[in-house]
Amino acid sequence: MALANNTGLRRFALDLFVAVFGIMLCLILAFPFIWVVLISFRPDNEIFTRTFQLITSFTLDNYAKLLDGSPFPTYLRNSIIVCSVATVVAVSISLITAYGFSRWRTFRGRQLLLILVITTQLFPFVILITPLYATFFQLGLINNPLALVISYIAVNLPFCIYMLLGYLDTIPRELDEAARIDGANTLQIIFRVILPVAWPGVVTVAVYAFVSAWDEFLFALTLMTSDENKTVPVGLAGFFGEYTTQWNLVMTASVVSTVPTLVLFMFLQKKLVSDLAAGAIKQ
Amino acid sequence: MATTQLSNAPASGLVRPLRTRLEPYWLVLPAMLILAFFFAGPAIYNIGLSFQELSLFDIGKQGEWVGFANFAEVLNDPATRQALFNTTLPLTIVTVVIRLFLGLGLALLLNASVFARWRLGWLVRSLILVPWVTPPVVAVAAWKWLLDARYGVVNQLLVGAGILDQGIPFLARTSTVWGAIETMLIWRELPFVVITFLAALQSIPTDLRDAARIDGANAWQIQTRIVLPLLKPVMAVVVLLTTIWTFNNFVYVWLATRGGPGDYTHVLATQMYTASFIDYRMGTGAAVGVVMSLIMFVFALIYFFVLFREK
Repeated sequence: MALANNTGLRRFALDLFVAVFGIMLCLILAFPFIWVVLISFRPDNEIFTRTFQLITSFTLDNYAKLLDGSPFPTYLRNSIIVCSVATVVAVSISLITAYGFSRWRTFRGRQLLLILVITTQLFPFVILITPLYATFFQLGLINNPLALVISYIAVNLPFCIYMLLGYLDTIPRELDEAARIDGANTLQIIFRVILPVAWPGVVTVAVYAFVSAWDEFLFALTLMTSDENKTVPVGLAGFFGEYTTQWNLVMTASVVSTVPTLVLFMFLQKKLVSDLAAGAIKQ
Repeated sequence: MATTQLSNAPASGLVRPLRTRLEPYWLVLPAMLILAFFFAGPAIYNIGLSFQELSLFDIGKQGEWVGFANFAEVLNDPATRQALFNTTLPLTIVTVVIRLFLGLGLALLLNASVFARWRLGWLVRSLILVPWVTPPVVAVAAWKWLLDARYGVVNQLLVGAGILDQGIPFLARTSTVWGAIETMLIWRELPFVVITFLAALQSIPTDLRDAARIDGANAWQIQTRIVLPLLKPVMAVVVLLTTIWTFNNFVYVWLATRGGPGDYTHVLATQMYTASFIDYRMGTGAAVGVVMSLIMFVFALIYFFVLFREK
């Protein structure tokens, strides 16, 4: 009895230690962003303190200044439009492509095309930037958000195709065969029959595509030359330029820039993690 | 009777299968065209460009063909050698190794059954995701502020603890600047490694551990003899992907230092961007790009070769 109690106690102590230690480590990891959030609610004169204070006074002044009196709303609008359009198109094309790969297992060149799709994941993106600048220049698309839309569609296609292919393979073929007998054509089957069933997978892929476009910096920096076409990452980087930095604006803009990705991730946290990790492992 | 069968059979046997046989090509064609336009086209264009001398102002025109002159210039430039070293060691190898060990350690810790039993899984998962959720630009901004000489928390804590007399401008000193960049990169990119390992750990069947425990293995033996070998394929994928992504990465160094102080932290990606878009020498930039791709191509080949030989 005493022995059982003793091992029970030791087990509990070990559990407690592991739990507290793990949560502490995760809190330390999350701290830099938590700190940015705290700073963004501080009045100007309390941002520049010489000693460490976790909490000071609270104000929304920085947010008011950012959204009314800085070009940030324009960057936000550009990012939202470019990333949304690119995501919808990339996911639609990926769904059609993945359906082709999933339902026709033996067409000539299938294996080769799939390998090529996966290889683009290992492609060094930086080498694309000079030639893409030249190509878009000749097409008259420099400083045109369409150039970014095209780029983000292309960048996201390989991953989306690959993830959706895995997802579609788990959907029984009887479903599309029944629809075909009822006279539906392939595109109708994809968008009316498969899409509603594959919905959870499509959402995961769409979130991934949106977030990766939202975070993208290099293409946006090179392809959009005027201030009114900048996206959030490039606009934010302009706030901490080489000479002057308005730290309160930077911190506030950082929080606003992170909100969309934060909301999307927290919303889908558990599913997204398992799906993305499964995709990474399968490769 | 026989003729009607024959005339019917080829009609349905040829026409309909031909359409269904072509259908997958129609379905995958748009995606393949986009990928060709975006990946294959530029790659070939880039190789052509690396043999020309062409200013950013003369885009669309044919550059002057200069043979291997761009490559000779790039490879003989001490700045490139410095950038190559920076890209390989402090940027890639150091951060990949640290991410691998930290990620593995954190994943093993967070895989402990207590988090599931006490329903804390959502909490640690959410916290671990925070760095990954912040865009890289925000990660750099946050760390620049944390590392600020006067107002940064890191310096304030170091001075407060009596370790330093006064704050250090981490990003302006050659002795600390790489550590600072590495910290930003590792912080933002660690969650991918943790999450991937965590998913792999959770896919290991529990009866494997139970069987080992019954056979008398202790916790350490179970981790090193059973769990780690099973993680090997995942580790291979993580190392390959993080190495290639990091080697080609532009954003952390560019936003943290623009290659400074002086040219101390230039990596190949920032050098390539500077050549093409600051100095307007597209041929030189393209040559740096070709060198980068060749290095990563050889790396991937050797890596796959070693992996497959092991199997």
